Parts: sequence; C-alpha cells; structure tokens
Amino acid sequence: MKLICLVKFVPDVGSAKYDFERHTLIRDSAHLQLNPDDVCAVAFALKIKARHPETIVEAVTMASARVTPNMEDLLRIGVDCGVILSDPAFAGSDTFATTRVLGRYLSRQDFSYLLTGTHSIDGDTSHIPAQLGALLNLSQMSGVQKIDESLLGQGIARFDVESEQEITTYQMRKPCILSLTRESGYKLPYASRANLEKDFSAQIQVVSNADLGFLPEEVGLTGSKTRVVETYVKRLEQREQRTVRADESGVEYVFRFLTDKGFI
Amino acid sequence: MIRCLIYIDPNETESSLDLIEAARQLHGDSFEVTGVLCSALDQPLPNVFDRLAVVAYPESGCVDPAQVVDTMQAMHWKDKYQSILIPATHFGRMLAPRLAMLLGTGLVADITQIRRKDDVVEVIRPAYSGSLMACIRYVGEGPMMMSVRPNVFRDMVKEERAMRIMPMQPRTSGGGIERIEVKPKQISYDIRESDVLVSGGGGAAKSFAKIERLAELLGGKASASRKLVDAGIAPRSIQVGQSGKTVSPELYIALGINGAIQHIEGIKQAKHIISVNINKDAPLTSLSDIVVEGDADRFLDQLIRRIQQYQQSE
Repeated sequence: MKLICLVKFVPDVGSAKYDFERHTLIRDSAHLQLNPDDVCAVAFALKIKARHPETIVEAVTMASARVTPNMEDLLRIGVDCGVILSDPAFAGSDTFATTRVLGRYLSRQDFSYLLTGTHSIDGDTSHIPAQLGALLNLSQMSGVQKIDESLLGQGIARFDVESEQEITTYQMRKPCILSLTRESGYKLPYASRANLEKDFSAQIQVVSNADLGFLPEEVGLTGSKTRVVETYVKRLEQREQRTVRADESGVEYVFRFLTDKGFI
Repeated sequence: MIRCLIYIDPNETESSLDLIEAARQLHGDSFEVTGVLCSALDQPLPNVFDRLAVVAYPESGCVDPAQVVDTMQAMHWKDKYQSILIPATHFGRMLAPRLAMLLGTGLVADITQIRRKDDVVEVIRPAYSGSLMACIRYVGEGPMMMSVRPNVFRDMVKEERAMRIMPMQPRTSGGGIERIEVKPKQISYDIRESDVLVSGGGGAAKSFAKIERLAELLGGKASASRKLVDAGIAPRSIQVGQSGKTVSPELYIALGINGAIQHIEGIKQAKHIISVNINKDAPLTSLSDIVVEGDADRFLDQLIRRIQQYQQSE
C-alpha cells in the first residue's frame, strides 16, 4: 500500500513578514513548521507503516527548496521519500494554479490514499484537497478524525467526521483523499537516535517545471484565477468607550453596566 | 439580466439565505437569484429566490460534494451565472473548491466583505492568520465564486421574490462517498445562538472554569479564541473567529484576548463588548464599550462574587 501525504510547511504566524508591494508573503523571513492538520496526516500514515512495514509513505509539498531541512525531518521519523515541487515558475500561484501543479505530479503516481490536512494555518482556505479531488476525479472528505485502520488494506477508508451536533461515519473506496483535522489527535513518532545524525538528502527529490512541463501562463501568478490587489491592516471602528481598572470600582462599573442593560 | 446561483446548505439554511444580501452587494439591486437545494427541509423556505432548483436526491439528501458539483456545473452551463455563492460550512467548503476547479474559475474563501473599486468587484477576507486583510480581484472570465462566512451578512432585509420551484433530477446517481452511521453528540451547544458570550483567550488560559461560571451566571455560553483551542483547553466548536465562528451576541465579554483580526471579524457585530486585558491598547479593546485594564482571572473572581452577592440579596 502506498500512502502519499500532501504537506505544507507554514510560516510560524508570529514571525512571518509580508511584502506589501508585491502582495505576497515573504516566506523566507519566517521560521517554518509543518502545518498542524498535516502533522496528523503524516502521523496517521506512519502509524499504518508501523503496523504494516511494507507500506510506503511519501511526503509531497510544493515549496521553495528552503523547506529541504523540514522535509528531512519527516524522513528522520520514518517517511520513505520526500518530493518537493519547486520552480520559480510556480511562485505566486493561487490555490487554482497550485492544484494544477500538485495534480499533474500526483496524476503520475500510483497511490492508495492521499492524506492531507483540512486547513492550513496561513491561508486557511482549505481549497487544495477538494480541488485535487475535482482534478484527479477522486472522492475527498475534509474534517476526518478517527480512521478505521483494519479496512484500509481492503481498499476501504471508513472514518468519522465530527460536527456540532453529531459524529458521522463515512466510507470511500481507494484511491481517495482523506483530509484530517488536528482534532484527530494523531501524533508524530520520535526519530530514532540512529536517524538523528543520518543524511537523508538522497531520499529527497526536487521536481521542477522541466519535469512537469507547464506553459508559463498556466501556473504562478499568471496562471492564477484570483489576485491579491491590496492588503491592509484593518482600522477598527472606535466605539464610545470607558476604561476602568480590574479593581473594586472597575468591577462595580462593569456590574452596573450589566444590570442597566438587563444582563443581570 | 445578471444571474446569481446560491447553494443552500440544508444544515445552515439561515446562513445560506444571507448570501442573497452578499449577492445584492455584489450585483446591485437588479439581479436574478437561483437557489439550489439538495435535501428536504423541515420548514419551507421563504420566497426570497426567483427560482429554486430542488434536486431529487433520495431520502436524507446528498453527502457527496462531487454529486452536487455535477448538478451545479450543469446548471451553470445552461444558465451562465455571473456569480456562484456558497456558504462556508463543512460541506460548502468541500463543494466550492471542487466546483471552481471544474469551471476553471477563481474562488475566494471565507469572504467577510464585498466592495467595488473603479467598477471592479473586490472581495475581502482576513489573511495570514489575521495579521492582514486581503483584498482580492477575480482574473478571467468567471463566474465569480466565493464561499461566504456564515453570520457575516446577517439581519439584512430580504426582498420577497416570486419563487418558481424547478424540480431537478440529480446529474449523477453514483458518487464515491457513503454515509454509514450518524451518532448524535452528547454535549453540544451552538455559540452563534447565544445572546451572551463570555470568551477566553491566552491571557485567561488558566481560568476557563471561571469563564464557564460567569457565562452561566449571565445566562450565556462560554467561547474561546484560537489560542485556547490550539492549547487544547477549549473545543473547536466554541472557537470564535476566522477558522471558528462569526457571532453576533448582545453581549460579548472578552477575557485575556488580544484580538487578532480574525477574532475581531468574528465578533464585530456584537452589540456590547467588554474586554479585560492587562494591555489596555490590545487591538480588541478599540472595539469595546468598556475596557478593563488588569488580570482576567482576578476580574473573574471579583465579578462572579459581585453577581452572586447581588443574587443572594434579591
């Protein structure tokens, strides 16, 4: 069984800088981490591999080569190979163009399940997994939590999705796309001591546009269907306001406000 | 005539109907709006669409976004909509990208505002975890597609329209997703339905039990910022903000919440806001009726005691 984990290394929110002229995030300025929902996707794949060592786990990302050390960290904990789709032509892609790039690579791979996160904490659009479903003609489900491991080998993904009021169990046949959430709670294993110092660079493959063969107008900024034209820090509407301290008189003021307005 | 297509999520009917106001802001007053309904509803919809496509899926509706996409794609080929609006619900968030990809058109997620500049539509959404608002234009032929944050276009008067029902057969009978079982959850409440919310953030991480207590005393519910949810202190179902929920309570008490833009976007329709923060200049304080400068935990202790005293004396 081959599992492909589609991952994204995202800027640590606090440390990212933004290019206000070009309206893009300066990814190089921020410390990168594996997107929290994607952590669960990789963790689940490695859990399956631990039970069934013949399972092959591949991690795929579209990013600059700067993520190589992050990808090596995934190999260190048991991922078999890492693929980085990287080319200057891909830079500035919106979710539509990004899906095209990922989709062309994935359409050439043979896999049973594509595991992804549901949300990414930087863009938070949740578009890519569903768009890949459309492009590759695969079933896709977001918000996946508990997956029944016993059925995967038979080509069946049975899993729970939790909503406000209920927990629904769904089933899809392979190949399909399972987009996990961090509520699934799958945890990454630790790297073995032997792997900590090992050089994994040979197991990382960089795939460029020379391999995928897109025309310049199909990907990147020019291949995108949406364009960020302006970004701004929101100015807040000022309300008539009173500032008090968290002491007896301040609490009394709040209490009076709440009684006057009928909340108490 | 400008045409707009709106997907009606049977689990979020109110939010779906709000999209008519989003369409009005997008197209002005003169447009034709068609709703797509793929499931039977407990209550009939009000007459707010020009046309309502009722797709005859068996029994409890359709669980596979790919099937709905087929139907909506066929409708678009026939009627050529200028815009397609989908509520940003769990199902809508899977449906919208699938449809956009097949139509080869741009999609903007979770929009909170629509505006026109030089007669070009621009949609606005919080970006990069609330550090910025991004203003986005569509490139290409369209249709303009967007998923719209529930509750954002709420409470606006909807024009009555002569709603013509169009029964439709689903385009595909297959679909790869099967629903096996549905189990109700034991404890659940919807923070969007509460008139009073007492909400905790990073500065009140150790005080969540007290937040719940205060909420109870005020007849409201507890909610939380992303920080508390990420820390595992509060469940995601009660998270306010961009990846959580947009709320419009009468009273919102924010304890130890700085207020990333996404959180502010989530509460800006609250009628009264009281924020408690050691930093009186935290972003959220500018939206507040009362700013309490100080420690959230200490404030909670004192206010809970004061309310209890009052209730005992009554």
